[in-house]
Amino acid sequence: MTSHVLGVSAFYHDSAAALVSDGRIIAAAQEERFSRKKHDPRLPTSAINYCLEEAFIEADELDAVVFYDNSLLTLDRALRSIVAGADGGSDIWVKSGPALLGVKPFISEMLRDALKADVPVLFAKHHTSHAASAFYPSPFDEAAVLTIDGVGEWATTSIHRGSGNNLEAVEEIRYPHSLGLLYSAFTYFTGFKVNSGEYKLMGLAPYGNPKYVDLILDHLIQLDDDGSFRLNMDYLGFVDSNRMTNDRFNDLFGGPPRTPEARIGRREMDLAASIQQVTEMAMLGLVRRARESTGCVNLCLSGGVALNCVSNGKLLRAGVFDDIWIQPAAGDAGGALGAALLAAHQKFGCARPEAPKGRDRQSGSYLGPRYATGEVTAFLDRHSYPYKHVADLDALASQAAELLAGGKIVGLMHGRMEFGPRALGGRTIIGDPRNVETQTVMNLKIKYRESFRPFAPSVLKERVSDFFDLDSDSPYMLLVAPVKKERCLPFELDMESDDLLEMVRVPRSDIPAITHVDYSARVQSVDQYDHPFYFKIITQFEKRTGIAVVVNTSFNVRGEPIVCTPEDSYRCFMRTEMDALILEDCILLKEEQPEVPEDDSWKVEYELD
Amino acid sequence: MNRQLFEHHPAFGYRFIPGLKARMEHEAGGYLIRANQTGFRCDHEFDAARQPGRKRVLLFGDSFTAGDGVSNKKRYGDQLEEIVGDLEVWNFGLSGSGTDQQYLIYREFAADMDCDLVVLGVLVENIRRVAARFRPYLTPGGEEQFLGKPYYSLEQGKLVLHQVPVPKEPLRKDELPDDRVNPGGRMPWLREAVNKLGPTAKEFIQRVSGYDPVPDYTTPDNPHWILMSAILERWIAEIKHPVILFPIPLYQHVEESSSSDAYRARFAELANSTDAMLHDPLDDILSYSAKERRAFRFQNDIHPTPAGHRALAESLAPAIRKALSTSDAS
Repeated sequence: MTSHVLGVSAFYHDSAAALVSDGRIIAAAQEERFSRKKHDPRLPTSAINYCLEEAFIEADELDAVVFYDNSLLTLDRALRSIVAGADGGSDIWVKSGPALLGVKPFISEMLRDALKADVPVLFAKHHTSHAASAFYPSPFDEAAVLTIDGVGEWATTSIHRGSGNNLEAVEEIRYPHSLGLLYSAFTYFTGFKVNSGEYKLMGLAPYGNPKYVDLILDHLIQLDDDGSFRLNMDYLGFVDSNRMTNDRFNDLFGGPPRTPEARIGRREMDLAASIQQVTEMAMLGLVRRARESTGCVNLCLSGGVALNCVSNGKLLRAGVFDDIWIQPAAGDAGGALGAALLAAHQKFGCARPEAPKGRDRQSGSYLGPRYATGEVTAFLDRHSYPYKHVADLDALASQAAELLAGGKIVGLMHGRMEFGPRALGGRTIIGDPRNVETQTVMNLKIKYRESFRPFAPSVLKERVSDFFDLDSDSPYMLLVAPVKKERCLPFELDMESDDLLEMVRVPRSDIPAITHVDYSARVQSVDQYDHPFYFKIITQFEKRTGIAVVVNTSFNVRGEPIVCTPEDSYRCFMRTEMDALILEDCILLKEEQPEVPEDDSWKVEYELD
Repeated sequence: MNRQLFEHHPAFGYRFIPGLKARMEHEAGGYLIRANQTGFRCDHEFDAARQPGRKRVLLFGDSFTAGDGVSNKKRYGDQLEEIVGDLEVWNFGLSGSGTDQQYLIYREFAADMDCDLVVLGVLVENIRRVAARFRPYLTPGGEEQFLGKPYYSLEQGKLVLHQVPVPKEPLRKDELPDDRVNPGGRMPWLREAVNKLGPTAKEFIQRVSGYDPVPDYTTPDNPHWILMSAILERWIAEIKHPVILFPIPLYQHVEESSSSDAYRARFAELANSTDAMLHDPLDDILSYSAKERRAFRFQNDIHPTPAGHRALAESLAPAIRKALSTSDAS
């Protein structure tokens, strides 16, 4: 008999649900995609609904619901922190008390009430959920699993050893010593939003000079030879106040934090470069430790810090492990998937499904909803939006490639939505990477931001080495690699300037829209198995241009959750200056659409990270 | 957030998106919808060959038959298959439709179908939809818009069809050419006000005020009844197979807060004037306790719960057996 297990993560940030049947991942999605509220932390009722829809089962057919976190242990840690926090403890209590006592103790009841079914509710440990999300879908039969995040219950860093169905905890570093929280402290200090702006800090790092590395190592974090680390809480506020940093931290780095509205200056760039370098040093130490303590030759990574694709690329090149696999939904959303997999394999004894040769069990992370042609045309017909249905996907890919080669920007909603923060061709905006204008147009007319971050390239798997120094697949856009030297153009980064936008506009390679100021790129390798249509588009683009790369940015405007439905996609298409939209196998041209009134509502709907 | 369920159809307004699979969020947790390739919420494809020894029933109706609020397998049509045995029920139910649209569905898809029996599951409220030319719906953005529907008028005793092909474009309220809108109940402003008081107060007010949700049945010469009965008479006359007329009561009738006498009398008269067999399930339903009957609808949604569907199926099953055996004998 089939066993169905639903995993749920919620009540911190980025809530999600995932469904595993007989050990196979059937569905996974973040609630924000349905609720349209970025990082939505609420009980993911719509994501749960979607998971049951995808499996096409009733709620009472579930064998268990597994919550990704043990609330009692979290409460224990919070209470001890509050007690330890002395005067500042009351501030934390005011902030975290309602969530800890108001919601989390009642999770079982809330889940059963949402499902209207008397289903057993189980609780996994936070880091075990993360570790399971990385190990079970990986292509490895045996692997070390390193999880690094802010904090989950007590653990901030953990090493597990996975083998077959088993996943055993090896060791952990406990709160408050947290690499994730240290990185978030710098995210906060440099004026970005904690738990969502970390990727901006990472993108800022190449502009900076890592001149604060010694200061950080002398005062904030002690990296030990055995790979462990300790934070000096004298400079950090998260234990005894509701701020990430304190006055001593300000004094150390020359003044108060940047306010979100203030211009990013040289200090922020140098801080970004410095904490990035320290993070890479710490991660390398932890990776070596994982190698020693498990004896495994393969590594799985998870936890929010595993989204630091710059570090990941360097870890791969360091060669400590033979191979590395990173859970694409490495943050808390992925905990839902891990919790479900953990119960499926350990409680219900499901065997791990065979991984296709040389591939993982994550199905390209295309685990979200798909909208069939009939649903797309029903939507378009209802509103009388002009479109062309092109049933022949080769012809449609060819038309898309022609538009791209002509400098047009194309929105692409095709197939199942991605699980995790990256758009991988399911809900993506694509453009021509050769065009120096692409980055500016995409930033100013599509994303409505003036970003210092370049866009990411999607490259045919077979052509990766033509463009990047990368020996490995990177299907989930989690590895940063150098652009091939012969493609790069001479460019001197002015380390004294603080005009990011001037720097970002200087061409640095023959694929300028995706080349960062340090000649790196956040690579997505695309193969014909997981997303054949995206593969076709890039193949057709290569036929026309000789370049097997397209620019890929997530299908959303600044601060908006990535689109999910045809309606979300059409709305975003019409709000921006995209030229064409592909909805499954229908294509819409902007010039043929009815005029819509100027719509700036997204500016108030969606906050900056 | 739920998926879009329907697509436009020029002959009868709209249908389920062919091949759709969806789960709808609902106060009872959620329910699964599967539509076949013809665009009806039915697990059977409508081009399937006859199975030896298995009877086939065609079932028509609105959301009570299509099964709003419950998964396909829990609907009375599907439960009949289990209760009667060796039976397949082809469900043509369409949420929100009137008897006029259901008749047009029959003409579009079912008139020449090979079957043993046709069941017309007429929710008694459908009489109001027959009189309507537009129906409201809420856009995902929360705006109320109005979709045209096909409708009949009686002109010199003959049914005349209007608004076909059905327009695709929704209209805003200020664009409506007339006020022939069926808002899904009477006096929507009053309903909204009473709903705000909560279900208990609403039921109390309905009971003490003698509220009649369908006064159109009060006399045989009511124009809405004359129109609806004309459509049903023509429909029954066109069906080449045995027909069961199955009037489905509203919850006010099930819970006895409103009198059912008028509508029952009208359907009895109609059955007498046609070849249709009448199966009125209300007596069977009233044999349940008041508490059980309250559980036949959801807390807020008035559609039948799985238990409500079961009660309808158990009431209808003997009539179906009898109709099928009669047709065998003849």
